[in-house]
Amino acid sequence: MTLTMLYSLLPILIIAFGCVLSLLLIAWRRSQHLILFFTLAILTSALIASLLMQFDVSQAVQVTLLLKVDGYGHFAFILVLLASIAVSLLSSRWLQNSIEVHDEYFVLLQLVVLGAGIIVMSDHFGALFLGFELLSIALVGLVGYCKVSQYSVESSFKYLILSATASSFMLLGIAFIYSQTGVLSFNVINEQISYGVFYQAGLLLFLVGIAFKLSLAPFHFWTPDVYQGSPTPVTLLLASVSKVAMFVVLMKCWFSQLALFAVVPKGAGIFFIMGLLAVLSMLVGNVLALKQQNVKRLLAYSSIAHMGYLLIVLMIIAPQSISLAWQSALFYLSAYVLATVSIFMALQLTQNNDELMGEINEWQGLFWRSRMLALLIIVAILSLAGIPLTMGFIGKFYLLNLAVEAQQWWLIAALIIGSGIGLFYYLRIIFVLFLTEKNVNVEQIKWLNNMSFFHRTTIFVLTFMGVFLGVFPDSLALVLTLL
Amino acid sequence: MTITLVMCFIFVSACIAWFAEGIKENSGRYVALLSMIAISIYLVFALLLSESSVDYSQLQILTRLPWIAHFNIEYALALDYLSIILVFLTLLLAVICILVSWHEIKTKVGFYYFNLLASITGIIGVFTAIDMFLFFFFWEVMLLPMTALIAIWGHENRHFAAIKFFIFTQVSSLLMLVAIIVMSVLHFQQTGRVSFFYQDWLALDVPFKTAYYLMLGFFIAFAVKLPSVPVHSWLPDAHTQAPTAGSVLLAGVLLKTGAYGLIRFVLQLFPDASSNFAPYAAVLGVVSILYGAKMAFAQQDFKRLVAYSSISHMGFVMLALFSFNTIAYQGAILTLVAHGLSSAALFSLAGMIYKRIHSRHLPDMGGFWQHAPRMGGFALAFAAAAFGLPGLANFVAEFLSLVGTYQVYPIHTMLAALGLIGSAIYGMVLFQNSFQGSFPSTKIASFKDLSIREFFVCSLLLSLLIVIGFYPDLILNLFNHSHIAWLTDDVAGAGL
Repeated sequence: MTLTMLYSLLPILIIAFGCVLSLLLIAWRRSQHLILFFTLAILTSALIASLLMQFDVSQAVQVTLLLKVDGYGHFAFILVLLASIAVSLLSSRWLQNSIEVHDEYFVLLQLVVLGAGIIVMSDHFGALFLGFELLSIALVGLVGYCKVSQYSVESSFKYLILSATASSFMLLGIAFIYSQTGVLSFNVINEQISYGVFYQAGLLLFLVGIAFKLSLAPFHFWTPDVYQGSPTPVTLLLASVSKVAMFVVLMKCWFSQLALFAVVPKGAGIFFIMGLLAVLSMLVGNVLALKQQNVKRLLAYSSIAHMGYLLIVLMIIAPQSISLAWQSALFYLSAYVLATVSIFMALQLTQNNDELMGEINEWQGLFWRSRMLALLIIVAILSLAGIPLTMGFIGKFYLLNLAVEAQQWWLIAALIIGSGIGLFYYLRIIFVLFLTEKNVNVEQIKWLNNMSFFHRTTIFVLTFMGVFLGVFPDSLALVLTLL
Repeated sequence: MTITLVMCFIFVSACIAWFAEGIKENSGRYVALLSMIAISIYLVFALLLSESSVDYSQLQILTRLPWIAHFNIEYALALDYLSIILVFLTLLLAVICILVSWHEIKTKVGFYYFNLLASITGIIGVFTAIDMFLFFFFWEVMLLPMTALIAIWGHENRHFAAIKFFIFTQVSSLLMLVAIIVMSVLHFQQTGRVSFFYQDWLALDVPFKTAYYLMLGFFIAFAVKLPSVPVHSWLPDAHTQAPTAGSVLLAGVLLKTGAYGLIRFVLQLFPDASSNFAPYAAVLGVVSILYGAKMAFAQQDFKRLVAYSSISHMGFVMLALFSFNTIAYQGAILTLVAHGLSSAALFSLAGMIYKRIHSRHLPDMGGFWQHAPRMGGFALAFAAAAFGLPGLANFVAEFLSLVGTYQVYPIHTMLAALGLIGSAIYGMVLFQNSFQGSFPSTKIASFKDLSIREFFVCSLLLSLLIVIGFYPDLILNLFNHSHIAWLTDDVAGAGL
């Protein structure tokens, strides 16, 4: 363990240290504000540490066998940190409504971030599993955190059991892979040997575990219920942090084994299965989202579709496209995280009392009441739908570029059909915003008119980012090429 | 820079109109109107000044700046006579749109004018963009505010119509996006450099089979916009449900973006593939002409009838363009202008009637002539324009299209000529049902003749129709045989 290694791990170390300190802080003094500021301070300093670091893929630092710190991992971790800062800001407002002091909540939050950090930096199945469990167990606690909610037990149980099942599948898969290759590291030593059926089966089982976390069809059944049952900030955490981390590690694992798929004569099989998962997710996610009335359920289904679109980046065959694939995936994920954060922000701000369940109709006529908030929602929805002027379109453009280069015409067709179906429900939300209001919630209006300066700035920044990066994507695209 | 300035200026005035309405009621429309007039005058002078030094019969690149360096995407605008004509048509109809919505829009007025002008900005961008990514970008920018116009200020069934409109155009334009990306990848494979620049693409050597698929990708996107049977079904709904200005803009300009795309991109980028596809396209054109005419005849709704007639007229454009013939090409361009004016006029008229009797239903109308003779006169003239009465622009346009097409597709042309009879029938149905016959007694008190504003709108459109009808050379001179270098017609030229 040299100093370089420690230095490159600095952001993760800050978070880990933060978890311990928070526990001490709780023992010393229980205060809602104190722990919130402490968490924010930890996350921000980890963010600053990440930003200061020179990230460069060619100078990736191998930290023991377990972790490998490279530019892509760093970028993903920055995304994770930004999303979790948004989560903690949103949580503060939600937690103020109840009387208890919620220290544990923030400790769990930091554990989730720690788990995500380990996952995105991992270069070894062992590290991956460690991070995966850390993330899942902390999330179970968070999903069921709101004890008074009628859904909390259902959703946390569902999440616990299914996530445990998924991780056992994954563990079995890892064991199978190990039995064939003899290493737990992602990098395979001998690329010339063609591994047998067990290797393929292992890979498949491993994919099942990941697909559960990414909620790809047909492993998506938990998603809508858990999304709806969790408190809004936790749903945001599920939708952003957990998805980003799992996808990045899937790419790391996949691309390091890419050479193997080319050697194995049945290698096409694994591509076929991946393509099938992608097409299924795009279609199933979009179709099931059509009739949803609840914003969170709708976003749950649309996230299934988005993960399906993202799988396109795994379908490349030529090794020289790998860097483009990384850029596409990271750009798409950034757009996705930004849009998700925006929508959940809006959802949390409009859900000012417990009577509101987050139905789409509660946004009726929002445009005429709070233009800023409605614009935020519109930009985010258009971004999810992939309409130009927004960041999501550039993300889709990246994906299509990649798919054309890899000549995946079926996936392109599914993407077009999926986006077409998607427009139905995305547009419906936008139209609701423009409807003339009938049953106006007086409290909501009062609250919206008295939004703090801080909230206004955040809303403005999020809206601006969504449009700015959609019109001038170069600012981010060039950063990604440097990675 | 001229066009960039024009677009910026329109967009800025869109924002000003929105804010002005918030400060003082009814100021938004003045801002919008005055700025549109100012911009039009500016553009006329800017072009006149530059015309002596620049020859617009070929594409003249105005601006070329790097935009998204990562994909080598540029901000590139260019003009030739085709785009100039269409830009002016857009500006003219923008003024008409503002005038017809003067009293019609009563709610959320500021936001309305914002959307109207934003859509105009996008349309001008579409007609001038020459980087394919930029073109696609504007293609969508014009779509969003248009959808908002339908969805917020439309009639009873507006959400359905807006969603249908949006999905049809969006899905087809995704096909175009894929084709655009494939072209850029091909460019990369052949030259080692990604490019979305139109004139780089002209130099590409695309294998025939690939070109055919790519051509189809573009063709579908533009055929939906045109619209051609069988992808036309969004149009009647969108037209019927849109507010008057929305219909005017849709029929007058938005449909023309489809035709423009066919001319600029499908025919010129893929000449071999499109001449191979031409027989099918010609059949689609003929079917659109006859089907549109037949359906228009069967409608009970004023706006729906005009909408179907648009499908019929745009069929002529499709047929003429795919006959690869100079005369037919001139006819197609003239049809674009003539139909832009005449359909805009008919939709404005529909709006004026709707304002008076709150119905678009033909059986609710009748006998308006007694109370509104001036309106009746205009209505007769516009209906006559729609069915191609000599002396009005549409006659020249359709005549030229048919003459040109006849040399290539005689049988198609004969069938298409039947559409002219059909148009006379539905034109008369429209006029007789609304202005002749007995007056529905309940509406007597409220039916007034044209106001000064409405009179101005109608006479402006009618005078343009007459001027072009009598002196079509005004436009045709710009599209001489020698200017259309890409049109390698073997049959034509004989007529000139």
